[in-house]
Amino acid sequence: MANLWNLIILDPMLNGLIALSSLLPKAVEFGLAIIILTVVVRLILTPLTLRQLKSTKAMQSMQPKIQELQKKYGKNKEKLQQEMMKVYKEAGVNPIGCMWPMLIQFPIWIALYQSIMKALATTPENLLDLSQHLYSWQIVNQALPLNSHFLWLDLGQPDHTLILAILVGGTTWVQQKMTTAPSVDPRQQSMSSMMLLMMPFMFGMFCLMFPSGLPLFWLVSTVIGIATQYFIGGGWGYLRPSSTKQSALGRGSKRAL
Amino acid sequence: MRIKILISLGIFCFLALSAGGCVGGQQKPLGFSGVISYDGILYLGSTDGKIVAVNPSARNQEMSFPSSDGEWSFAITISSKGISCGPSSVPVSIYGTPTVVGESVCIGTYNGKVLMMSSSARSQNLPFPRTRSGEWAYPRTEDIIEPIVGSPVVADDTVYVCSSDGRVYALDMTYGDEKWKSDPLGDKLWITPVVEEETVYVSTFDGHIYALSAKDGSLLPWAFKAEAGFASSPMLYENTIFAGSFDRNLYAVKIGDNELLWKFPGGNWFWATPVAKDGVVYAGCLDGKVYAIDSKTGNELWEFDAGSPIVSSPALTDDLLVVACDSGEVYALDIFNGKLINGVSIDAPIRGSLCIQEGIVYIRAQDNCLYAMDVGKGKINWRFPLTIK
Repeated sequence: MANLWNLIILDPMLNGLIALSSLLPKAVEFGLAIIILTVVVRLILTPLTLRQLKSTKAMQSMQPKIQELQKKYGKNKEKLQQEMMKVYKEAGVNPIGCMWPMLIQFPIWIALYQSIMKALATTPENLLDLSQHLYSWQIVNQALPLNSHFLWLDLGQPDHTLILAILVGGTTWVQQKMTTAPSVDPRQQSMSSMMLLMMPFMFGMFCLMFPSGLPLFWLVSTVIGIATQYFIGGGWGYLRPSSTKQSALGRGSKRAL
Repeated sequence: MRIKILISLGIFCFLALSAGGCVGGQQKPLGFSGVISYDGILYLGSTDGKIVAVNPSARNQEMSFPSSDGEWSFAITISSKGISCGPSSVPVSIYGTPTVVGESVCIGTYNGKVLMMSSSARSQNLPFPRTRSGEWAYPRTEDIIEPIVGSPVVADDTVYVCSSDGRVYALDMTYGDEKWKSDPLGDKLWITPVVEEETVYVSTFDGHIYALSAKDGSLLPWAFKAEAGFASSPMLYENTIFAGSFDRNLYAVKIGDNELLWKFPGGNWFWATPVAKDGVVYAGCLDGKVYAIDSKTGNELWEFDAGSPIVSSPALTDDLLVVACDSGEVYALDIFNGKLINGVSIDAPIRGSLCIQEGIVYIRAQDNCLYAMDVGKGKINWRFPLTIK
């Protein structure tokens, strides 16, 4: 199974990453390759992302109805579930539907993560392991070992300047805030607020522990996620609720017209 | 509500820290120190950060360790920084093979220290460093240089060692004072330098072979640039440097020439330092083969497929070539035609360099055990676990 994973997903991505590095200026080769590959993978996954966004948006547009139901059947969980399913069915939305695109993307993100970690090869053991994943392409072998320096970062070492941690934490917060709908249920609301704080904090902490090549990938990926959300999802979402309301009103009035 | 949030936040942070600290991002550096024999005693580094002196005859008799016959062990630890799930001090990783000169045992560690130990002080378990016995650590303070992967080389009362900061360091053998350090030579230097006639030769990750003055570390006029970085340490034989490259070739470069003498293609990197004898270079490759190559022409004389990557350098006896591979197989080959004479198998990868003493092969495997093998007869004489308390 591991061999199949390596053969089909990991090795092509790893060799692609290294080959791409060799085409870029030596001073920034690996950092830039991580950025480009993350963008390319994001672009390839755009149809799935759009589908996921569409499903999420549909779910969000149903929030007022759901909240009403929560108020009405708050204590009767079984009835609440039944009513909610009825509403979803009427609107033609599958609440689990928005999970599929995410699940399909997951192995690709894991492969990208593994490729970055393998290509960094910070220890002799890692470098030896890398040798067993490389194609015999000249472009790949001549590029090694990769220059791990990019801007102020040594991509093979954690960034202790806190800059990357703050950037990753900040962008994670923005992305989450854009998509997290406020809830009427106080328990659910407190849970969402907690997640809104914890996830950015956790990713920020990881930045201080993992080789900075990985946080660089997280940062680029999150920034692309924010941009996609902004341009396709319709503005800043729940980050600026007034703008969401306004745009919703605008759309509503346009529709009325 | 806020208290709840704060408590949850605390638990979450703790879990995040634990995950980061324990799981880490990459494979843990275990080290693959080789074995060296000096005056009948074997010296090696263990995977748990110890330098161990082993007397083979005491191990043969299964005496308790350490016996009084020159055996000792010395644990090298560093204090762990920040929050971690492990103990407050952690063992260092050792990749190089110790260098022994008389009473003195020298090693470079992956945490960036060079240590000179005295066998007599270590066998008495005296506090390190005992300067009166010629012990020292470089740098002397809590400072460290970048990780050291290669072995130190001692020549003319000077210790030469390469570091991941791309520099070569020359240290006084008696006091550990820095005689000189070279300018950074490109990327990391994970190699053992060659010192010959007041010249230090190094092969670098950015594809250079440099010659430095052993007196002051200045770059000498001659240097060679390959098409790709060098993966192996250089080996000097008959005024020619042999080194494996990341482009899957073994390079032969005549010192003083700017042109390549020859390059020999393998199926993967030549990571292990090659060995040479009677005009033949024997090179283990990560493609699982060992190649015998004519040192003058680069023509292949024979090859043997070990079936698994060869990380450790082969070792030579009068008529045998002993090769160990990552799957734990050890083969004795006829030096003249590569025919398999016999083999031994152990249940652990072998990555450290081999040592042959009176026909017995000593190997430290990745299971942290030292093995004594009579490969010619295909048997393991004894196995000694290095997890000594």
